[in-house]
Amino acid sequence: MITYRDIHKSFDLPVLSGVDMMVETGEMFALFGPSGTGKSVLLKTTIGLMIPDRGDVEIDGLSVYEGGPSALLEVRRKVGYVFQHSALFDSLTVLDNVAMGLPEEVLQRLSTIEKVRRVWEALDIVNLEPKEVLSKIPSELSGGMKKRVGIARAIVGRPEILLWDEPTTGLDPVNTAAVERLIKRLSKELEVTSLLVTHDVEGGLDICDRVAMLDGGTLRFCGTPVEFRACPDPVVQAFVDRAAAEAALDMVTDTYV
Amino acid sequence: MTLPLPAPIVRWLAAVGRVARITAEHAGELGLLSWRIMVAIARLKVSRHDISTQLYIMGVQSLPIVFVTASLAGIVTSQQGGYQLISSSPQYVLGTLVVQSVILELAPLLTAIVLVGRIGARITAELGTMVVSEQIDAFESLGRDPVAILAAPRLIAGVITMPLLVGFADVIGIVAGMIAANIDVGMGTETFIYGARLFWHSWDLVYGLSKSVVFGFAIPLIAVHMGLRTRGGAEGVGLTTTQAVMFMILTILILDAMFPPLLLQ
Repeated sequence: MITYRDIHKSFDLPVLSGVDMMVETGEMFALFGPSGTGKSVLLKTTIGLMIPDRGDVEIDGLSVYEGGPSALLEVRRKVGYVFQHSALFDSLTVLDNVAMGLPEEVLQRLSTIEKVRRVWEALDIVNLEPKEVLSKIPSELSGGMKKRVGIARAIVGRPEILLWDEPTTGLDPVNTAAVERLIKRLSKELEVTSLLVTHDVEGGLDICDRVAMLDGGTLRFCGTPVEFRACPDPVVQAFVDRAAAEAALDMVTDTYV
Repeated sequence: MTLPLPAPIVRWLAAVGRVARITAEHAGELGLLSWRIMVAIARLKVSRHDISTQLYIMGVQSLPIVFVTASLAGIVTSQQGGYQLISSSPQYVLGTLVVQSVILELAPLLTAIVLVGRIGARITAELGTMVVSEQIDAFESLGRDPVAILAAPRLIAGVITMPLLVGFADVIGIVAGMIAANIDVGMGTETFIYGARLFWHSWDLVYGLSKSVVFGFAIPLIAVHMGLRTRGGAEGVGLTTTQAVMFMILTILILDAMFPPLLLQ
């Protein structure tokens, strides 16, 4: 379970102003909101990639910010993070990129064959052909393949929680749908807790158990997809309508242009 | 009743305050980064493979440009020294002038400036790109320490490489100066060496190499620090790289000016 308590974060202006949120163990949770409302910032505070000015995050009862570096490391081992633009290491092959997802001491202990086997398995799970991609470097991969390698790196260490930072950004509709199916399948198959930050509201509502919406630095809504669609709050309604219109426009553009 | 300060003075004080704040910020961050690098080295967290790669990039790949720079420095010093001294001083003084100039100043300083352009800018741009493409965040999310993986090998390689390159530049600069003296003013090798030995102090060599160790520490440290501070996209990387080059050159010149009162008294 992930618990956010009174999270505040400012850069030049306040971005998060007291966010309280809870993601239950095993559920798929989507976080929506207009651009610049701090969705990715909140996700990054989960594992200390950004430190909140105030507040704390707990993962299965373990405080991320009050336990010191060892607690932070322990938390990070429980979590797999899928970055918006994959964040693969340019100079490493796919094999080494995915292997980096294994804890350091495990990686040092593994034989080369065992390392390849673990990476192979992870690539297989994300529907990539390991034989074809293992020795490639990120610049030789397509956008969709990079995303899958990024997902393979996040799951190879068998995390209990997966954090997805806009995993479908920059993908065409075919790849977007494929990645969304993959997210849903992985969350069920690997029995992990998933927190998904996305602009793709329709996709998020389709695959998640619960959703929340950030607006103006605070949580505007938290509930099931059905409740979200029926929410009488005019800000939520306007956001749902705009998202639906954008999705329709995307479909028309992709079909005719 | 106190009179308000005139606007230009207020603006000037604000500018001074801003510069002081930025300087203190950089100094604090550089101190912290140095500490984290030392901790990573002490805990043997630095990969030998990464150090070898950096030694190759900083050392072996810099040899051609250091060769050209040192040769030209030796030749120009010899030519100008010959022009100024030939009618007023004994010829052998030219040997003294070339050797002392190269060892004390030209080789360490010019090699450092070449490395700022070749290595410092590269490190800042590389790490800056890794920051904006979230690769540094990715290291941290995977429980890896980017300082141990990226900063420490570069700093170790800088400290090892720089004195070796300066030693190489010393030899090349002196030999090139000797050849130029022979061609320009017809000075024989023996006269040149006589002049060089007449005022030779072994301490001068230690002085020049000590400078190079400090420069070899400062260049990668500042380059890494600036790279990790990068914000924004491609524009941010460009801006930070330019700032880093200015910062490194200025630091090298200031450190260079601090050496004579400390070690040549």
